[in-house]
Amino acid sequence: MAEVVLEHVMKNYGSLYAVNDVSFTVNDGEFVALVGPSGCGKTTTLNLIAGLLPISGGDIAIGNRVVNDLDPKDRDIAMVFQNYALYPNKTVFNNLAFPLQMRKLPKAEIATKVAEAARILDITHLLERKPRELSGGQQQRVALGRALVRDPLVFLMDEPLSNLDAKLRVQMRSEIKRFHHNLGATIIYVTHDQLEAVTMADKMAVMNGGFLQQYDTPAQVFANPVNMFVASFVGSPAMSLISLQAVSRGTDMVLQSAEGWELPLSPTNAQKARLSTTKNVVLGARHSTLKLHKSQVPGSVPGKIYTVEPTGDVTFAQVFIAEAVVNISVDPSVHLSPDEPVWIEFDQERVHLFDAETTSALTVR
Amino acid sequence: MTDATSTRIRPVTKKPVDYWRWSGRVFLVLLLIFTAMPMAWMLITSLKTGFAAMQYPPQWWPASPTLENYARLLDPRNSIGQDFLRYFWNSLWVSTATTILAIIVAVPAAYAFSRFRFPGRTFLFFSVLLRNMFPAIVFLVPLFILMRLLGLVNTHGSLILTYLTFGLPLAIWLLKGFYDNIPIQLEQAARIDGATRFQAFLYIVMPLSTPGIIATAIYSFIGAWNEYIYAYTFLTKHDQMTLPVGIQRFFSENATDWPGLMAATFMMSVPVVVLFLVLQKYFVQALTEGAVKH
Repeated sequence: MAEVVLEHVMKNYGSLYAVNDVSFTVNDGEFVALVGPSGCGKTTTLNLIAGLLPISGGDIAIGNRVVNDLDPKDRDIAMVFQNYALYPNKTVFNNLAFPLQMRKLPKAEIATKVAEAARILDITHLLERKPRELSGGQQQRVALGRALVRDPLVFLMDEPLSNLDAKLRVQMRSEIKRFHHNLGATIIYVTHDQLEAVTMADKMAVMNGGFLQQYDTPAQVFANPVNMFVASFVGSPAMSLISLQAVSRGTDMVLQSAEGWELPLSPTNAQKARLSTTKNVVLGARHSTLKLHKSQVPGSVPGKIYTVEPTGDVTFAQVFIAEAVVNISVDPSVHLSPDEPVWIEFDQERVHLFDAETTSALTVR
Repeated sequence: MTDATSTRIRPVTKKPVDYWRWSGRVFLVLLLIFTAMPMAWMLITSLKTGFAAMQYPPQWWPASPTLENYARLLDPRNSIGQDFLRYFWNSLWVSTATTILAIIVAVPAAYAFSRFRFPGRTFLFFSVLLRNMFPAIVFLVPLFILMRLLGLVNTHGSLILTYLTFGLPLAIWLLKGFYDNIPIQLEQAARIDGATRFQAFLYIVMPLSTPGIIATAIYSFIGAWNEYIYAYTFLTKHDQMTLPVGIQRFFSENATDWPGLMAATFMMSVPVVVLFLVLQKYFVQALTEGAVKH
């Protein structure tokens, strides 16, 4: 196992930068998720680490060795592909044996290692089959097996679960997590599903438009998103963002909506709002931090129910406030109907303020 | 219960006749007769004596079938047998050499067109097709002059080179299609698993493209095997002629030996038919089924 260091990594196709100045360090034995929407550069970053694409700038080091110019085969990595990329003309046994055969291991040792990997992944009974005779979950296991049979420095995984059905995905999610725990392996895992990243990873690297947005533990990313993109990308349902104006009222600050209502800010939040480059700030709040009232209470702001989405153990109410739709979780016993007027109470300790111009989070140090 | 339902008498409904389906079948039968009849007649004639072949009304079935024509063609002791076997051997050599060379060139070319992005790629790819945009006969004289300059007239080399110019473009296009269908992730996986780019090609891509290579090989073999006009123009010596040209010798000015001609023609079709029968499963074999989830 080893650590992976990316320093100012660039990848461009002409003037198009797929990966732009990305730096982060994956510590030995860490599970890091690269997460972001389609086309954000996460898969490109992974392919750069794997050596499948030539790097345009910066350095990539695996285990204290700069690997910029090394072939994939010399980087001592293993990769699990989204479509598994099992060799269709080889049996499962030979799929698992291939990485070892390429390294010219003795036959007896290959047989032992393949048997061991097959036992760990519970695919011993499938060894004589061809990939096309396996179910999606079994193919997934074989792909994992081919990666782990060789005991590489780093495991790279490119959306390995996205081809599985929902139920199997949840099951394999915990299996991969267990796999990481048992092996203490360094894993870099690409996904577009923020839930996968939050539930599995030690750290997550949120990417957008080729840039690394935030690199931290899922809890930190969830609690303190650095900008509006991260805030709206991580968490389900997404954090609600409301565009407002910060206005001084003597020594206090209030947030004013176009509709005319004002929300007084706590001293800390007022301090944050003053940091904004313009008067335009964006108020962010997660569904669980908001309270919904059927009648006006002090410090609440008026809104109107848009839709109600019962999920069984919790009901999500979508409320129109100041031209934004805000998600609020409420108890399923509360009866709400569309267009019903409601009042929303914010938790001043747990709201987020963003600069509308720069989209960065406003923080006081 | 189940008994009650299963023994209940169903109302007999008359299925309407599907005229489209039946007219389709009739059409296919006619097509089959159209393609198979000449072959059958060729075979029947080849079993007749010279006299029986010329009878009118024709003998639909030879009154006294004989294998004498085949025996004569395959007997190296008489001059006809010697000639036929020599032509056969010449054709086999020219076609096989063409096929092997075509595959050796087409496989890496098609792979490069499929996988690499290089300057002039599109231009090169379409210029490969340029030859096929003109009828083959157009190139007869230019190629003859070229072969004379190269000193290749009256050698099999001239034919092999010519057939390559015909066969290669299609071989490259055909194979590129096969390589395009092989997911690039398979090679990437192999390279990560410790293979060089060439090893990934050799161990992973080549086995998967076998059906494509075989289809391409058959195509280029048949093209070379059947070619007439270039062989007729480039070769004038008897001992070098290929079968399509050589068989002509069964037409003489006064009398044509029809049974002998038909026997020779039938034998000429044997290698092609055998190739098809042995290798046809590769044509239909699903290429990379199960490799990736689509």
